[in-house]
Amino acid sequence: MMAGPVGAPPVAELEARGIVKRYGPLVANDRIDLVVARGEVHAVMGENGAGKSTLMSILYGLQQPDAGEILVRGRKVEYRSALDAIAEGMGMVHQAFKLFNSLTVWENVVYGMEPSRHGFIDRRAAIARVGEIAARYRLAVDPAAVVGSLSVGVRQRVEILKALYRDARILILDEPTAVLTPQERDGLFDVIRHLAADGRTILFVTHKLHEVMTITDRVTVLRDGRVVERMVTADTSPREIIRAMTGRAVNLKVEKAVSAPGAPVLVAEKLTVLSDDGRPLVDRASLTVCGGEIVGIAGVAGNGQTELIEALAGLRQPYRGSVSIAGRNVTAAGVDEHRVAGLAYIPEDRAVTGTARAASAADNLAMGFHRYPPLARRGLLDGRALATEARAMIARFGIKIGSEKLAVGTLSGGNLQKVVVARELTHRAPLLIAEQPTRGVDVGAIEFIHSELVAERDRGAAVLLVSAELSEILALADRILVMYEGRVLAEVDAATATEEALGLLMAGRVQEAA
Amino acid sequence: MSDIARPARRLPRIPPVPLAILVGVVLGGLLVLVSGGNPVEAYAAIVTGALAFDNLPNTLNWAVPLVGMTLVAATPLRGGMINLGGDGQMVIGGLVAALVPLYLPGPGPLLIIVAILAAMLASGLYATIAAWGETRHGIPMLISSLLLSYPAIGICSYIVGFPLRDTTTGLAQTPMIPEAARLPVLSGPLNAGLLVMMVVAILVVLYDRFTVGGYELRMRGLNARFAGYGGVPLARQMTGVMFASGAIAGLVGALIVLGSQFRFQDGALLSPGYTWSGLMAALLAGGEPLGAILAGAFFAALQTGGFAMQRETSIPRVLTMVLQSIIILFLAIRHGVGRRRETR
Amino acid sequence: MLDFITPFLVNSAVQAITPILLAALAGTLCGRVGVFNMALEGQMLVGAFAAVVGSYATGSALGGIVAAMLATVAFSLILAYGVTVFRGDAVVICVGMNLLASGLTAYLLRQMFGVSGTFSDPAIVGLEKIRIAAINGWPVIGWIFSRQTALTWVAWILVAVVTVVMFRTPLGLRLRGVGEDPEAAETMGVDVTRYRIVTVLVAGAIVGLAGAQLSLGTVSIFSEDMSAGRGWIAVVAVMLGRNHPLYAALACVLFGFADAFSVRLQGQGLPNQVTDVVPYVVTLVALVLTHTKRRRRQDPTITASP
Repeated sequence: MMAGPVGAPPVAELEARGIVKRYGPLVANDRIDLVVARGEVHAVMGENGAGKSTLMSILYGLQQPDAGEILVRGRKVEYRSALDAIAEGMGMVHQAFKLFNSLTVWENVVYGMEPSRHGFIDRRAAIARVGEIAARYRLAVDPAAVVGSLSVGVRQRVEILKALYRDARILILDEPTAVLTPQERDGLFDVIRHLAADGRTILFVTHKLHEVMTITDRVTVLRDGRVVERMVTADTSPREIIRAMTGRAVNLKVEKAVSAPGAPVLVAEKLTVLSDDGRPLVDRASLTVCGGEIVGIAGVAGNGQTELIEALAGLRQPYRGSVSIAGRNVTAAGVDEHRVAGLAYIPEDRAVTGTARAASAADNLAMGFHRYPPLARRGLLDGRALATEARAMIARFGIKIGSEKLAVGTLSGGNLQKVVVARELTHRAPLLIAEQPTRGVDVGAIEFIHSELVAERDRGAAVLLVSAELSEILALADRILVMYEGRVLAEVDAATATEEALGLLMAGRVQEAA
Repeated sequence: MSDIARPARRLPRIPPVPLAILVGVVLGGLLVLVSGGNPVEAYAAIVTGALAFDNLPNTLNWAVPLVGMTLVAATPLRGGMINLGGDGQMVIGGLVAALVPLYLPGPGPLLIIVAILAAMLASGLYATIAAWGETRHGIPMLISSLLLSYPAIGICSYIVGFPLRDTTTGLAQTPMIPEAARLPVLSGPLNAGLLVMMVVAILVVLYDRFTVGGYELRMRGLNARFAGYGGVPLARQMTGVMFASGAIAGLVGALIVLGSQFRFQDGALLSPGYTWSGLMAALLAGGEPLGAILAGAFFAALQTGGFAMQRETSIPRVLTMVLQSIIILFLAIRHGVGRRRETR
Repeated sequence: MLDFITPFLVNSAVQAITPILLAALAGTLCGRVGVFNMALEGQMLVGAFAAVVGSYATGSALGGIVAAMLATVAFSLILAYGVTVFRGDAVVICVGMNLLASGLTAYLLRQMFGVSGTFSDPAIVGLEKIRIAAINGWPVIGWIFSRQTALTWVAWILVAVVTVVMFRTPLGLRLRGVGEDPEAAETMGVDVTRYRIVTVLVAGAIVGLAGAQLSLGTVSIFSEDMSAGRGWIAVVAVMLGRNHPLYAALACVLFGFADAFSVRLQGQGLPNQVTDVVPYVVTLVALVLTHTKRRRRQDPTITASP
């Protein structure tokens, strides 16, 4: 460790001073200072839109700040690209993995820094080196495996290997546990501890409180582009952190009356969905959702939830089995018939599936209901009705947009999700399917959406909730189903469920959870 | 949620289309200068050739098929789909429209109607083959529609070259269609085809603005996944749009045969290059019908002016083709004109 | 039935394939880095015209080849920068380029040489066939190799070279990454824009060779729109070959045979309008066969188009 003059504190491993970054009128980073010591696990927290991602991309050289400077081990550095940052010892594991699915693990790891001999890639040296690093940090990975065939947890290890291959001294982990089971997350934490003990520094970007409390040494909280708090983890609490992130005391629990389920609305029997090469992505799944209850589906992403919902919504033909909505058999039908039968559907990807960014709010708010009165009659669209309905929805759901004629592309995550929620909830359908309804949404909007979902349940709708956030499922659901490898593995009463038991079920370990 | 967005370079605030035209004019002018001509003379000839009162009928007459082929490209493009098979579809329509009055009995006006409808049906059906290729087999319509064009042209060329040939003339063409089956003349070169095309153009615009189908097509063009999620039947929509697109191409072929040429001649429908100009006009407008029609009309004026320029100044009329491509390249590069696809 | 495979036929088929092969190779390179190149037709035309002009001016075939490469590279700047730096739509740019090539070459043909349609002049020096007397009599190998232009040799050598570079060298690995996921490549410090631009320009040079072979390879002439759909066949070959140089080359060989077969049919008295259709039909069938394997979900919007 480098020490300054006698009596002065040791030089920080990484320091950011006065970082400013603007996107037009929006100030994403507003004079941010950050100090991270060597060997520290440092959390950077904040709501979505607080500026965390921008700051990290600046620290990793993917963007240049408009003002401010970065110092690595006391020396000012300037990055023209990620290459420069990598040379200074920065490494980054992105939330959305930046991996080449068709290439092997070793090809992904050495990409950009390939060992070569006489102009050709030295395959043997590459594989050896990758294996060596993996062994040293106990990251179990097969260097010759094709990345596309690996599970999410293993892919994350490849991302970490990439950074370690370049001898990253400072590792940025961006929302690393979003896609891991509780057990995989614990494994990751072991690796982090090992890396820290090895003298490497970890920047942990997250919004998950309990993880911060578990693994980190210090916390820097961002809000609206500024640093609002710097804390030592051991000296603080989740409540304090949330207050710093949101600026107010936030109610973490959802107020919910006991449910009074009525008649079944959604009935799925032995649904089987096959992949392109014949594997069952959904394996004889059966479920029932009654009016007046919220059924939550828990499970790590990639266990068939997406395909199950697609089959239930009519976006995909099941290979076997049946789906009926409000008594009507819609198994072989398309989305339109499902909607006519009574389906409303909040998809997990609001930007790709749930909205059209270049279309106006009015157009977006009409989709799915645009064939029927009041929006259309006998094939002719009623433009004025479209606008009136849109305005009403904007007002009722508090969507922050200037006019219904403006395109929705510029709306923030939470606002865009409100557009989707407004549209799907307005017509008071008997069945509501909500997939990851609060992903990437700020806390205020999360509260709002949660209360809307409960309100739907209370007015008698059947609600099917799919979420990767166990806390959300535990807070909202009346009954919980766990999906694993395409099967509905277990059903649990929400009142008695624990995160640990659910985590085991999500990893397929039925016996241990019992 | 990546904010690693790198904005493409855009020009400040100058309206893109006039600027593009200006750039085209300047670069075209340089080309003329370098090859020994007089740009001012050239452009003057183009403008008077297109817009002088005496020449307007010619321009309008040229605009009918060009705007027609623009609609052929624009209608699928509005939904994010691309039909490159306009040539083949137009040729099929033209041949069918020539054969009906030649080989079917009946009064003139009835023959005209049957010819047009048969042409549209044949071409529309042919166009749906490409749609079927994509919905059933995943073959991109961009490629299949283009590839299908060649066999269509080849077979029609064969039919008119051998079995149904008019052997009294030296060219590969059908006999002349009877007078009664020709489109009534309006004035000069203009015939009732102009009215038909105007009606079709208006219908397309109305469909786009006021119907559920138009809304669904537009939404699909902006985000196909979103449209599918909203219950739009994507496969059926693709087939329907391609049918309409092919049918309009068939209509264009029929109007040319019944209104101007009065016979089907091998290659005569294709040599003016309506299809590619129409495609460019449609691309310029991103499939938006009204903008596409205006762009098509503009190109028609440009090309008619080009003919006049070649007559008056001996500068080759292909210059207008060069101008057109410069304009569209400028707009594509500088202003991101094209198919605004959301999912990459 | 297969008696139409005569030595002469094989030789001319191999020669006829050369421009398509070179164009397909270029298209493959562009496709690999994520640039959908539909302008092969126009690029080939530009190369063909420049080759004739260069040969006419310098009195040597080599001058023609160099001119072709330079002109096509310059022309390819539109695609290279348009799609990367300016984020333009590749389809619109390519359509514009094809039309620009057609119009510009026709215009220059008239203004420079005073003719329209076709230009032929004894001053144009064509490509000589390289004769290898030793293998002249050998079956198959002799038929293919004994009399071909240098560019045909270059084409096949390039296919091998590009394949090796693509799959065995660091450069190739980086290009493959750029095409598969440019964002990921960028985070690894690979300058996606630069790699793309250079690749498109190199591909442009290769199409220039295709154009030179086209206009100087058999009879030394230039005629308007002489690329005549070969560029489109190359685009299809790239698609059939899934951006892999060897498979694209295989697709080109398939067309070569379909083409030769159609010539044979002509010899049997079928009119050329019908036989010309044969390569396209073969292509369509090949497309259906290679795409049928992938069973599509109900969502036809997810296609291989750019």
